[in-house]
Amino acid sequence: MAAKLTYPTGVRPLLIEETARRRRIESRFVDRLEQAGFAEITLPIIDYVEPYAALVDRDATRQSYRFVDREGDLVAIRSDFTPMLARALAPSMSEEELPLRLFYRGDVIRCEASRLGTNRELFQIGAELVGDASVEADVAMLRLASELVRAFNGKPTIVYNDVSIAGALGAGARDALVTKRAGADTPPVVRKLIAGEATLEDVAPFAPKAAARLDAIGRALDPDEFVLHLDDFEEGAGYYTGLRFRVYGKSLIAQGGRYDNLYARFGTSAPAIGFTFTIEELD
Amino acid sequence: MRIAIPKGRLQERALNVFAAAGFDVPPDADLKTRKLVFERGGVEWIFVKDCDVPVYVEHGAADVGIAGLDQILEHECSAYQPVEFEFGRCQMMLIAAPGAPPLSKVATKYPRIARQYLDSRGLRAEIVPLGGSVELAAVLELTSHVIDLVETGETVRVHKLEIQDLVKEISPRLIVGKNAYRTRAREMRELIARIEDAKHEILQNQLP
Repeated sequence: MAAKLTYPTGVRPLLIEETARRRRIESRFVDRLEQAGFAEITLPIIDYVEPYAALVDRDATRQSYRFVDREGDLVAIRSDFTPMLARALAPSMSEEELPLRLFYRGDVIRCEASRLGTNRELFQIGAELVGDASVEADVAMLRLASELVRAFNGKPTIVYNDVSIAGALGAGARDALVTKRAGADTPPVVRKLIAGEATLEDVAPFAPKAAARLDAIGRALDPDEFVLHLDDFEEGAGYYTGLRFRVYGKSLIAQGGRYDNLYARFGTSAPAIGFTFTIEELD
Repeated sequence: MRIAIPKGRLQERALNVFAAAGFDVPPDADLKTRKLVFERGGVEWIFVKDCDVPVYVEHGAADVGIAGLDQILEHECSAYQPVEFEFGRCQMMLIAAPGAPPLSKVATKYPRIARQYLDSRGLRAEIVPLGGSVELAAVLELTSHVIDLVETGETVRVHKLEIQDLVKEISPRLIVGKNAYRTRAREMRELIARIEDAKHEILQNQLP
């Protein structure tokens, strides 16, 4: 019998040309991050499941490959760098070191078997700014994401919002926002959000901090490139607490946001913001 | 702009909605040819199997489409579903032959939805994925039960089967890809508003 020709769904080898292409993109990308003052750190490919149990929602848990290792511990293959970085840094981090500008690169493996044609193995490069809660940090990271795309694909569209707005709206409203369809009991402000007619003034009464912050961010950025979409919410916010953004070219190139409570779970409280690029999506 | 229309059960009514919304939809004569792509009024219309509409929209190969909730859920399609239509509604049901043995195997075209249903009810059963004529599995005792769409109930009656439980209410929806929605927000929102208006206009005209 002939040996199997195929690979498990969602993974494949990159041969000479594709590997060369990826390396070219990777080295240009990393050069730019280093020029911007970011230092590289390396994270393990597997880790225990237990330290992350409290913070990762069920959907994200199902995304990762898990198995029992020889010692009988439940471990998972890396599916998201951000919580791993927090766990690596938080126990030994001191105030004086902050802010930290860090980047990482490597594969993540996700078992989204259902999504047709979705890769399970993704090569990602991400950058994080740890220990700076300011609006300026938000603006700086958004601008950096934009500059990185410009170096490859040309001008991106970066859509941003604040996840705490959905948090303030209640479960029924979130459903309407996720599907973009209003029901009979959908409150007027949610209808306005879905229709794309809501402004920060509509949001301010129930999410004043988020509104003020988004206003400050908006003032600092080019509205042609950075677009505020107050209706952009996913079903679960995960560990994100504030700013959330997605970078679109022909497809989704990168995504990121602010997670100010993540580090506290691993021992040292620190605000943080970051983004992750999927290198396949760059030219 | 590229719009995906499901061939078959929903095709005519899906086109009617777009026509009522002022779109220049391909005429019947064109549709009788073997062509699958038509350019009219600045829109590229593509005709694909109903189960493929969520796939095209999810991956941005089409900006917009009309798809049943059954196909949206089965493909875990993350596209927005801004308009729910009144036409083409049906129910996904758990069906068995009278006096069938306890639930042990379920034949279905919708393995993912079936799995979620069984898990949510705490039921343990094996799923047997089939491509069609699913009721036959119960008739021929390939499986103890089937999960399938029921529109009029005629198929269930003809095969002398009985409905045991409602799995999911199913309705067709306008689906809009996230990429299109985020990068061309104005255009997509305008389209959604036009479809929403057309839906109400059609409902008004149907009133006695």
